[in-house]
Amino acid sequence: MINKILSRRDFLRLSALAAGGAALAACKSGTTATTAPAQEQPAEAPAAGEKITLRMWSHQNVSFVTANEQLVKKYTDANPNVTITYENFPYSDFITTIQTSMAAKNEADLMEMFGSWVQSYAKGGTLAEIPEVLMSMSKAQDLFYAAPLDGYVWEGKLYGLPNEYNLEVGGVLANKRMFEEAGLKYPPEWKSWDELVADAKKMTKVEDGNMTVSGFDYVTGDGLGFLFWEGVLERGAEYFAEDKVHLNMISPEAEATVQWLTDMAQKDKVVDPLTFNGDSNWVGTSFFQGLVAIGYIGPWIVPEGRRNFPDFKDPWDHVSSPFYGSERKFAADAGWGKVVSPNSKVADTAWDFAKYCTEDAANARFWNVGTGTVPALKSVAEDPTLLNDINWLGPSLKVLPYGRFVGDLQDRDYIWYNVIQVRVTECLQGLHTVKETCQLMNDEANAQIDAKLANK
Amino acid sequence: MTVETPKRGSLFRSQHIFVASTLTPIMLYMMFFTLVPMLWGVAITFFRYSPTRVGGFLGFGGANPFIGVDNYADLFSNSPNGQLFRISVKNTLMFVLMYLPLNLIVTLPLAVLIEAVNKRLKVVFRTIYFLPIVTSAVAVSLVWGVIYNPTFGLLNMVLRDFGLKGLPWLTDATTRVFGIPLPMLCVLVTYLWSDMGYNLVIFIAGLQGIPEVYHEAAIVDGANAWQRFRYITVPLLRSTLTFVIVMTMLSSWQVFVIFFVMTGRGGPSNLTRVLVLHVYEVAFRFQEMGLAATVAMALFLIIMVTTLIQLRLLRKDWEY
Repeated sequence: MINKILSRRDFLRLSALAAGGAALAACKSGTTATTAPAQEQPAEAPAAGEKITLRMWSHQNVSFVTANEQLVKKYTDANPNVTITYENFPYSDFITTIQTSMAAKNEADLMEMFGSWVQSYAKGGTLAEIPEVLMSMSKAQDLFYAAPLDGYVWEGKLYGLPNEYNLEVGGVLANKRMFEEAGLKYPPEWKSWDELVADAKKMTKVEDGNMTVSGFDYVTGDGLGFLFWEGVLERGAEYFAEDKVHLNMISPEAEATVQWLTDMAQKDKVVDPLTFNGDSNWVGTSFFQGLVAIGYIGPWIVPEGRRNFPDFKDPWDHVSSPFYGSERKFAADAGWGKVVSPNSKVADTAWDFAKYCTEDAANARFWNVGTGTVPALKSVAEDPTLLNDINWLGPSLKVLPYGRFVGDLQDRDYIWYNVIQVRVTECLQGLHTVKETCQLMNDEANAQIDAKLANK
Repeated sequence: MTVETPKRGSLFRSQHIFVASTLTPIMLYMMFFTLVPMLWGVAITFFRYSPTRVGGFLGFGGANPFIGVDNYADLFSNSPNGQLFRISVKNTLMFVLMYLPLNLIVTLPLAVLIEAVNKRLKVVFRTIYFLPIVTSAVAVSLVWGVIYNPTFGLLNMVLRDFGLKGLPWLTDATTRVFGIPLPMLCVLVTYLWSDMGYNLVIFIAGLQGIPEVYHEAAIVDGANAWQRFRYITVPLLRSTLTFVIVMTMLSSWQVFVIFFVMTGRGGPSNLTRVLVLHVYEVAFRFQEMGLAATVAMALFLIIMVTTLIQLRLLRKDWEY
């Protein structure tokens, strides 16, 4: 089994060829009335009679492609003068294709882009701003949750529309068999992290000095970053420094968060960070191998787990996770959405189709159900019938209003994976003290931010 | 009998036409797909170049400004990229210095042993040892990744059967063997397994090129097997050795796939971050193509210098 999987986007690389998809599962579930694209509400047609050809790119995840293809068909049926040439690429080639074609200025008119990349492209001038007449900022703020939308905003201007609220927070995977064998209540209703850890300790197994079951595995590339931001925010602090550009990772709240993460590994021993981490026994696979009782990962893993581990017999669910303090506060990535090339000759049509996929509630819901993703559109997420189509989203939908976009980190991946993941994992493994870890993170993250700012 | 020789001029003209018509397409192909990208790669090292920013003509200028040798200076600075570059150089150098002798120590004696067995067995052995070379590097890395898995990996299962404690082979940043990080050693073993067949076949070919008469003469003179290996085989294999050393050094400086698949982003704690992995990350993850091209240029210089030194040291003035 593949162990080196660090993040959801890395996971996409490896699952691109996986068969089936949540799209098909959802479509088969007999709820077509609510999940079908809005045929009855065709988008405003571009200039009548004018033949328009639109190029659209996305990555090659099966469920994403299926959902997009159906929306393309519906749109072109309603707008017969528009032809959409939809191309998709293996995830690993997708980013390089976008970047190299942007350099040659021959990228597609419309691209599916991960929201947390948008600001870096927008500031480089390689994305088109959405015209105010098509979507004003205030209207967008009414329609979409702040966390996904703000990823598409740069210097007060909107550079795309989100389909997805990318979420790692609010829920965890839980193995029912392990809970029952340990005599624990299932589904769990933890009121605090302490309660979760107490349960996890009862399910952790060590044989001959080797951890064979991790009670609570949170040591992942994405998980450590999200837990760090959430821990700082819920302890009442802010991870951005006063200048709103650099990071403050040495505040008492930051240290308390790293201390808490470390204690779970070193004192409570619910995870062995040497054997369970982003590079080994990654939670997205080890949970489905019966090696993890509680796994910290977003709801996107549920359709992937069902699809990729059909032989896993233990009953399991994605259940609500607790939060620290009195109010849940967390930072989230902006998820997948639609952006338009500034070189497009048919930008109006491209934006029209982008709106068709993201703003129209029925189409947006169809896309979310098909891809098994959390909706960015408020009206879709707040519709209680959504759970008929995506029954695992309950814990996630509850927390959506409490999230905010993680912010412009200048170099999101570097800070997430080269700083937080590396340094906190080292701390958990006992290589540094908590204070040293925070200082290292603070120095390295801010040095990279400075380097990026110098490159502007 | 007289041999009619064609007129010099017409023969040369037809030869020229033939040469031009056959070589020009290949030359154009090489120019567009090799030379131009190489020159482009050199050019962008002098720019703060990223495809995510809009530049001027050919992407240069504008938001991708000319910065002289700043990218080169950055490699020696205390910036995050400078630090990671130096870590990558150190790791790659460590890998190269361990891998080259290890490869030679394993493949040369093995080649001599295989050459000594009968013809049918020789073919069988040669095929078996060459198989990993024709196997996908990604597949090899994934399989070895499973072998090294700390929980259900074959290696730890065997250790536990002997009452020993298993190890997190690829993720342990704390354990070192003679100062070498454990994950680096694990990748080294995998790379040796997957790559040794290539040198083995070359050594076997080299051994077959040594005239038997020298060995026979040595036997007559009373030389034992070791003496024949040390004083006949090794010196007469010098051309082959030079080729093998240079090629192995070249390939090990450029090692990428096996690290990318087995230890991800150079983990744990950047202990397996090698130069090409760093180039990849800077270019496609951090989206700084100019900086990445500069690191690639540094790698090119390192490889060129080490290769020239090797060729100089291993130069010989005789043939047999």
